[in-house]
Amino acid sequence: GLRRCPISMDMRHLQESFQDIQRAIQANDTFQNITILSALDSLQGIKPLDVCCVTRSLLAFYMDRVFKDHQEPDPHILRRISSIANSFLYMQKTVQQCQVQGRCHCREEATNVTQIIHNNYNQLEARVAAVKSLGELNVFLAWISENYQDGSA
Amino acid sequence: DGVAILPAPSNLSVHSANMKHLLVWSPVALPGETVYYSVQYQGEYESLYRSHVWIPSSLCSLTERPQCDVSDDITATVPYNLRVRATLGSRTSAWSTLKQPFNRNSTVLTPPVVAISKDGFHLVIELEDLGPHFEFLVAYWRREPGAKEHLKVLRNEGVPVHLATMEPGAAYCVKAQTFVKAIQRHSAFSQPECVEVRGEALPL
Repeated sequence: GLRRCPISMDMRHLQESFQDIQRAIQANDTFQNITILSALDSLQGIKPLDVCCVTRSLLAFYMDRVFKDHQEPDPHILRRISSIANSFLYMQKTVQQCQVQGRCHCREEATNVTQIIHNNYNQLEARVAAVKSLGELNVFLAWISENYQDGSA
Repeated sequence: DGVAILPAPSNLSVHSANMKHLLVWSPVALPGETVYYSVQYQGEYESLYRSHVWIPSSLCSLTERPQCDVSDDITATVPYNLRVRATLGSRTSAWSTLKQPFNRNSTVLTPPVVAISKDGFHLVIELEDLGPHFEFLVAYWRREPGAKEHLKVLRNEGVPVHLATMEPGAAYCVKAQTFVKAIQRHSAFSQPECVEVRGEALPL
């Protein structure tokens, strides 16, 4: 695909951090039959041209909403979430540079995808939605891994 | 109240080499007493979005030594704030915070320790185990005028690696540097090391 915005990331560490907390997080998901990211088959249908925009939007979704709405008492899980959040912040800085250079344009199709995610999130109480979205990080990480294979560590 | 009676640790600094980050400080000196220390950190995400959130270091809660390996806490290439406080019985000091946030991209990368050997006519290299962050760029060449330099990228699996098949009567040299993708930096090259293969050089 067209790599408009190569992002350097430590994907192995990100996935390890998530797998370490996945069971604990998903155990707190009280609405197992509802999904926020996973419902989106369209995430798979994102065109290379829109990859940067969707990446930027989903990073912002997690940074501005999910991590903020989640209150984590367990220090071990808190460390893992912090690791992921700070890794996303690092990625976000790269994406923002691409945006400044005009290499991260958002078309309507891409904007619609992330709007659906926000709408799904809004259907639930913020903390419940945050736990569910954290539990679905594997969907986002798999999508990133697939779309940035040469950029991942 | 008793909270601030205990003096706070001072002179915090981070010594970082090859992605191992050690927070050190001057201990609180109370003769005859054992003072304990606790370390907390916050990444740039926390300082930007949740500045009240400080995370207990994974290795240093109530530790006796005036140092803490924070390598497993510093897991992204963004600035991290670090702080320490002292504890003696029920008394705790104020927090002392590192003056400048620490970013792992400032770690010192040293040339790798390289061991080369001969296994018959095979040139074999063994590399230092520096952990999962590290790749090695290995350069090797036949020691003769105008020799071409060959390059190989290795991840360290902790086992000797075959580099080349050598010709009798020739000498071969090797040097290596590390590369850390997470911070997009590499070390200087190690000093070249050479080995020679006994025997008659093959007729051209």
